[in-house]
Order: sequence, then structure tokens, then C-alpha cells
Amino acid sequence: MSKILEVKDLSLHYLTRFGQKVHAVTDVSFTMNQGEILGIAGESGCGKSTLVNGLMGLFIPPLYPTGGDVLVSGESLMNRKPEDIRVNVLSQKVSMIPQGAFNALNPTRKIKDIAADVIAAHGSGQSVSKQKIYERLKERFDLFGMDTEHILNSYPIQLTAGERQRSVIGISTLLNPKVVIADEPTSALDVTTQKVVIKMIFELLERNIFSTMIFITHELPLLRHVAHNIAIMYAGEFVEYGTSTQVVHDPRHPYTKALMGAMLSADAGQKHRKPTTIEGAPPSLAKTMVGCRFAERCPSARPECKQKTQSMRMVGERLVRCDYAE
Amino acid sequence: MLKLLRNLIKEPMFVIGSFLFLTTILAGLLGPSLYTAHPDAIDSYVQPFKQYELESGKHIKYWLGTDDLGKDYVALLLRGLQNSLYVGFMAGIIATTIGTLVGLFAGFKGGIIDDVLTMFTNLFIVIPSFVVLVLVSASWPEGRSLTLIAILIGLTTWPWTARSVRAQAASLRGRDHISLARINGATNLQIIFKHILPYLASYVFMVFIMQVASGILSESAISMIGLGPVGEGSTSLGVILNIAKDQGALTDKKWWGIFPAAGVITVMVFALYLLNNSMEGVFNPRLRK
Amino acid sequence: MLKKYPTVRYISQRAIWYFLTFLIALSLNFFLPRFGSDPVDTMMAQAAGGLSLEKAKEMEEGLRLSYGLIVVDKQGNIVRDTVIKIDTVVVRDTIFTTVKESVADSLGNALVNERREIESIVLRETLIERPEAVARKASVVSQLFNYIRQVFKGDLGKSFENGKPVSEIILQALPWTLALQFPAILLGWIFGNSLGALAAYKRGVFDKALFPFALLMSSVPFFVFGMALVYFFGIIWEFFPVAGGVDKSLLSPNFFEFISSAAYHYVLPFFSIFLILAGGQAIGMRSMGIYELGTDYIKYAKWLGLKETRVLAYLFRNAMLPQLTGLALSIGQMVGGALITEMIFSYPGLGFAMLNAITSNDYPVIQGVTLLITTSVLLANFTVDILIALLDPRVKASLSMDSK
Repeated sequence: MSKILEVKDLSLHYLTRFGQKVHAVTDVSFTMNQGEILGIAGESGCGKSTLVNGLMGLFIPPLYPTGGDVLVSGESLMNRKPEDIRVNVLSQKVSMIPQGAFNALNPTRKIKDIAADVIAAHGSGQSVSKQKIYERLKERFDLFGMDTEHILNSYPIQLTAGERQRSVIGISTLLNPKVVIADEPTSALDVTTQKVVIKMIFELLERNIFSTMIFITHELPLLRHVAHNIAIMYAGEFVEYGTSTQVVHDPRHPYTKALMGAMLSADAGQKHRKPTTIEGAPPSLAKTMVGCRFAERCPSARPECKQKTQSMRMVGERLVRCDYAE
Repeated sequence: MLKLLRNLIKEPMFVIGSFLFLTTILAGLLGPSLYTAHPDAIDSYVQPFKQYELESGKHIKYWLGTDDLGKDYVALLLRGLQNSLYVGFMAGIIATTIGTLVGLFAGFKGGIIDDVLTMFTNLFIVIPSFVVLVLVSASWPEGRSLTLIAILIGLTTWPWTARSVRAQAASLRGRDHISLARINGATNLQIIFKHILPYLASYVFMVFIMQVASGILSESAISMIGLGPVGEGSTSLGVILNIAKDQGALTDKKWWGIFPAAGVITVMVFALYLLNNSMEGVFNPRLRK
Repeated sequence: MLKKYPTVRYISQRAIWYFLTFLIALSLNFFLPRFGSDPVDTMMAQAAGGLSLEKAKEMEEGLRLSYGLIVVDKQGNIVRDTVIKIDTVVVRDTIFTTVKESVADSLGNALVNERREIESIVLRETLIERPEAVARKASVVSQLFNYIRQVFKGDLGKSFENGKPVSEIILQALPWTLALQFPAILLGWIFGNSLGALAAYKRGVFDKALFPFALLMSSVPFFVFGMALVYFFGIIWEFFPVAGGVDKSLLSPNFFEFISSAAYHYVLPFFSIFLILAGGQAIGMRSMGIYELGTDYIKYAKWLGLKETRVLAYLFRNAMLPQLTGLALSIGQMVGGALITEMIFSYPGLGFAMLNAITSNDYPVIQGVTLLITTSVLLANFTVDILIALLDPRVKASLSMDSK
């Protein structure tokens, strides 16, 4: 197994209009091997979306890297020219399946034209005939068992939500990217369509269109079935990182525990448990923080938690950012 | 609300805009009592369009010279400013009131009432208001007062307000708190005034600012082509420009007949645009970044 | 039948709407002047100064006829009603009183001296009925229909000033206005929108420099900017001519001389319209563009690593569509402002014709010009509506969905 993606102490911040630094991502580290599926879960605003941009090397102001490194197949994405990232990384090395595919497709462009734009953007310079591009698209879209002709020749508005989401997946994976980041690809879809979309993603995995995936969602039940490893994010940090069985069935960090309590209570086998809620709100990332970021809301917080910054440590064969977790 | 205000004050456009506009308003209100020369007093000693006059040892100084008849330009400008502001505000109030009511009603009611009102609004938007102003003013050779012109402007520009308020009100219509109020038995009027108008207040205010600006612009345009207010004391900035141009101030290089008045109009409108834009930036955070 | 062709159906719907709007504009054009004074009265007051009563009456009747104010039968003769005119005649009556004076004579017989004396003179009013044939006044409604009929025949009346048909005056001025305003508005729109989109996309220094400038430009009234250009470029520095559309001292210019002189005269008015319009459009496009930049499809295009020019093309195209709608709505205002620019430059177009008509109270010309402006604005609107339907697949799609 070869290392495809290495993230080392990645910290990211963006600037507000009044020059305030917001530390959206702090010291995130993980490694992904070929064929691995990593799930990332956390509340909205925990820094997931910022992390995605960092993993693609896309630092569009006001987003800036604070420190750390991201390596794809051993190649760093830091300190590179935006044009270099655009041509050589996006769509080819790291690609993104965004949430809300409803609006992700340019409403005034046909699907085939958007897809052709992707090919043109990463072409080797020589122009390929429209006919050839169309054939290539058709071949790829035919894999999905859809009405290819209809989809390719339609404007987004003429497609159903499911068709649109599948078009997005098709476009994002067109150039066989090494790593695919799927950011809540099934949110805002009905249950049947969700299943179709997940099935499609796995078909692509089976056919080796791509093999390594980061799956971001707040639907933990889904993640448990899909991902090999799961990372839980809170206030810009990974708080727990382990295999999906470890994290879901045997959470160690108080936040993960609370999250499971809030999310899994409706799951089979845990019917007797009442859904719990986590009191309070995550801390503002605009301030420099001392101590554990979850301390304010932690049911088992100790006085010293608010002073002592926590770091990841091995607890029960996975990494947990809590000095007192067992 | 307080936070919005604090954000506004941090906005340089807002600060400059409100400074400029308050200055013009203060000049219009207080100017005539500080600068006591009467705008209609004719100094028959000066020749037409004098920049300033030194006569028989006596220092009669006109800061901005005199017009073709020998009237003091500073005094004329102050009165013109006052009158232009009057027309702008009056037209703005009329247009905003009618437009807001029509827009609220159409947007809130929806259905056929909305269709009819929207069609009506669009109809008056596509018929150029300039044309309507010219037609009415031209057929009203006597008794064209400032108030009449303000009313005419207000009556021709309300559809712009109605259009934008309608869009906002329609987007509010489906919100939960409106449905809740309806379930609780609130009447339409109660809903409009208690639940919709407060949400739109800042928006309506912004549109009002634009309407004042367009009132000032329309008045000066219509006066510029000789269809402005007639009668004693109704000199507006546009009228000053019209007279100066007719008397050849432009071709005779008498810049003080044209540019001070033109400048004041521009500054007022610019200030209002600045205010509007800065508020848009604060109320619509997407524009910030 | 039309259901199969949603675009055709849409266009015909719009055509009907604009035709109705045109009729309403026509009625406004007819009614608004009548708020004030009777146009024929105004005209008579101006024209009939030294005419004899008979002549004046004949002329007035002729004018009323040509303005459709009186009724005409099928043969075109004026329908006359016998109107009983009641004249008041004042009769002078003298009332006499007989004064008897009795005087006794010397014999004591009474002598009666009878004398008639005028007691008073009384002015008595008597009403005399006199039948007269008077042209039948048309009702306001039939006046309106007359007006509409005449307009559709292309007859806009005659100028008070020189008796020329208004349509002729307009036809002379129209090419100048079209040649000036059409390119200035179109290019100003394109230029302003390109700048605005670029400012929204680039932000940073470019935006910071452009935005206040564009905002200032958009708040300068057309006539102020026009006068500033005339003053500096025309009068102080004498780079360009300040008035007219072509050099009048060229007596019989050949084609090349005419074009070069016209181009020389064209520069200032063109730029005064072009720049102000571009400023306003840039402001609008900038906010539209910033809004579109925040949309998911632009983010996605960037994530996919599309070329910058391609992302910009996405942005421009999609932000342009609402700007196009904005153009449809505000074209009336733009034309109004541009007309004033023509007045400032004494450019021989419709604006200048209107200014002349305003100064001489030449009502038929004013009315004719305003009607033409409204008509062209409506036509421009209609064109933009069709353009939007053709350019925006969302509109197209919603049209075909409607007809399903």
C-alpha cells in the first residue's frame, strides 16, 4: 500500500474584512493509503469546508495557510502558484464532489459543455475535436446506467436532482483523480436518490475510476458503512481519529461520545436511548484559544482543561485529543 | 441594529457619503440665514456675469460672481440647493410611499392582485418618465410650482420602488413567522405592518435614498431644458443652469455660472449613491468580503 | 397550436403586451397635454395675432379638424350642428314722464302747462335667438380614436412654428439620434459590464480604483458631464466642436467631407453618453458579479480547475442576464438622459428638436417627439425581452415547462 495523501500539522486561517484572523483549521494530520476511504464528521462550521480547500491547495484570499504541509503522492501542495495547482492538481490529483449539486452546475451551460470545459482546462495544449470529447464523455457517462444522451445534452434545470448529482460526480471524476473529496454528496436528496448516488460512487470505486476518497458528512450512520477510518472534527481540530468501528461503536473523546448520543440514538439496537443534545455552542475561532476547545461544553471537563492545550494521543488504538479520555 | 450601525460607521463610503450629504443639507437649511444677501436682489452696477466687483472704492465682493442680471450667485445657489432638496425629498417621499404600498400589497397578496399590480408597475417603468414629465410640464406653462414638479416626479418614479419592494415582500411571504402570524389570526394589515414592514425597513430606506437622488436629478434635468418651476423664489439648481446656459455662460467661458451649480447637484447625488452603496454592503454581507 | 413552439408563443405574448403598453402610452400622450390648456387655443393665441375674425375662425376650424377635435362625416365634410346662439341685445329705453304744471293766470283760471320730460334712460336686456351652423365638437373618446387613427396613418400634425408636418421634422432628426444613442448606449453597456465583471472577479487594487470612479461617473447627471466636456474640450482647449452634428459651413460637402465632419462632431456627445452609462453599468455589474461569485457553480468551476478565462466567461454570461433585464427596464431613463445630452451639444437629433419645440411652445412637435421616444423605448424593450428568452436557457426551459 502506498501513501497517497499525507497531511502534516495543517493549519489554515482566513482574514475577515477588518483584518481579524480566524483560525478555521488547526494542526490537522492524517495519512491516507491507496484505496482508503476516510470519513470526516463534525458540526457545521467546524472547519470541514475550509479543510477541503486546504487539501486541494486552493488558497484563494482571504484563505491562507498558517503552517503544515499537504502531500499528494509525495508532492507538496504548499507554496505553489495558483495556476500550477489549477493545471496539475485540481481534477487530476485531488477532485471534489460538492454538496448541493442543485446549484453546482452552471445553469446556462449544458452538461456536456461543462464536462468539456474540464477536459479543456487540463488538456496538454492541443485541441481535441468536439466529437472526440463527446465520445469520451458518452463512454464515461454510459457507465452510470443513465440516459446519457439526454443528460449530456440538457441544461441543469432540465434534469432531476438525482441526475444532477450524478452528473456532478461524473464531471468531478472525469480525469480519474487520485483522491476524491465528497462533501456531503447526499445531503438535500431524498432517500431513494441517496442510495442511487452512493451506489454510483461505489461503482466508480470498483471500476478503479478512483480509489481513495474522503467522505465528509454529518450522517454518522452512513459513514459507518462507507468509511474505513473516521475523523471527528471540532472547532477546527481533529478530536478523534480511528477506524470506523472504533469511533462509532467505542468513542473515547467526550465530544465524539456526545455526538454519537445525539446522532445514533435512532439507530437500531440503541432504541432505548433518548436522543441527547450538546449544550452550548462551539467557541469563536477568531480568538486565540488556550486550553481544550471543547471544555466549555464538556460534561466531564476538569478545571485544568481550560488552561491546558490538548494534543492527540493514543487511546485504545486510536488518536484522541483529550488528556483524560480512557 | 446597533451592530449594523457600528459596521456602517466603519465603512469609509458611508462616512464620506453622510458627511457630504449632511453638509449640503446644513448649507440648504442654515445657509440663507448666515449668508444674508437676497438671491433676487439685482446689483445693477455690475456687468452681466462678473466674477466679483470692485467699485468706487467700495468692496463689493461676490465669491462666485453674479449672474447675467447681477444677482449674487452664492445666494442663488443656497436657494437653489434648498429648493432642489425640497423637490428631492418631496418626490422621494411620494414615490416611496406609493411604491412601498403597491409593492407590499402585490408581494404579500400574490396571485391575481400581484399579477395586475406588477403589470401596471412594469407598464409605468417602460414608459419613460422623462417623456411624461416633459408632456405635463410643457402643457402647464403657468403655475408650475416646485411642489407640482415634485408631485409629478413622485408620481412617475414610484414603480421602481414598487418593483423592488414587491420582490422583497414576496420572498418574505413564505417565511415561517408570517405563516405563524396568519395561523394566529392576524389580519393582513397587521401582518404587513407588524411582520413584513419591519423586515423591509432598512431596504425601503435604501430605496428612499435612491428616490431622493433621482428626484433631485429629474428636477434638475427638467429645469435644465426650460420646463422647471416658475414663480418667485422657486429658483432651483437646474433653473440656475438653464438660465446660465441660455445666457451663453458656457460659450463665454463664464464657468462660475455653470460649474458651482452643476457641482452641487453632482455632490448631492454622489453622496446619496455612496450612502446607498455602503448600506447595501452592510445589509447584504455577500458584497463585503 | 403554439404550444409546440414555446418561444414563438412567448414572443407573441410579449408582442401583445407591448402593443397594449403602446396604446396606453399613446393615450397618455394624448391626455397629458390636455391637463393644461386647449392646444388649439394656445396655437391660436400665437398664430392668429393679425388675422381678421373670419380668417381666424376659418383657421381655427381647420386646426381643430386636423387635430381630430371635430366630427367629420364619411365624405370628409365637417358635420355642423345648428346651434341656437343666444345673443344678448341691450336696448335703450327712454322713459318719459308728463309733467303737468298748473299755473294760475291773472284771471285766476288755471292754466295747465303740459310738458314731457325725460325721466330716465333705462338699459334693457333682450335675448335674441339666432341659429348658426357650428362644427360639431368631438367627444374626448372619439378625439382619442381620431388621434390614434392619425398616428397610425403617420400623421402627427403640423408644427405651430413653421407649418411643417411633424413627421417630416422627426424623420430629419431621427437618424442623428439613432446614430448617436444606439452605439453609445450599446457600447457603454458592454464596456461598463465588462469592467464591472472584471472588478468583481479581480477585486483588489483594480476594484478599489475603479469602483469609486464608476460610482462618481454614475452619479454625474448627463447634462453636467456634457457641459463639462463642452467647456473643457470644446471651449477652453478647442479640441472638438461644441455644437451641431456636422460643419454647417460646408456648403455641398462630398461624402467623405460629410462623414469626417460628422465624426468630429460626434466625439464629445458620444463620450458624454458612453462614459456615464458605462459607470452606472459597471456598478450594477460589479454587485451582480460579486453575487454570482459566491454561487456554488462558480466555486465548483474553480474546484474543477477550469481556466480563469472560462470561469470569467461563466461569471460574465450569468451576471449579464439580469443586467440585460436591467437594461430593458432602464432604457427609457437612458434615452431621456441622452436626449438632454443632445440638447447640450445642439446635436440635430430628437432631443434638440424637442428643446426647440419646448422653447417655442410648439406642442405638436413636442407630442410627436415624445411619442416616438416612447415607441422606440418600447421596441428596444421588446428586443431585449426576446434576447433574454433566446440567451437564458432557464427562461427557455421554464417556457417549455409551462406548455407541457
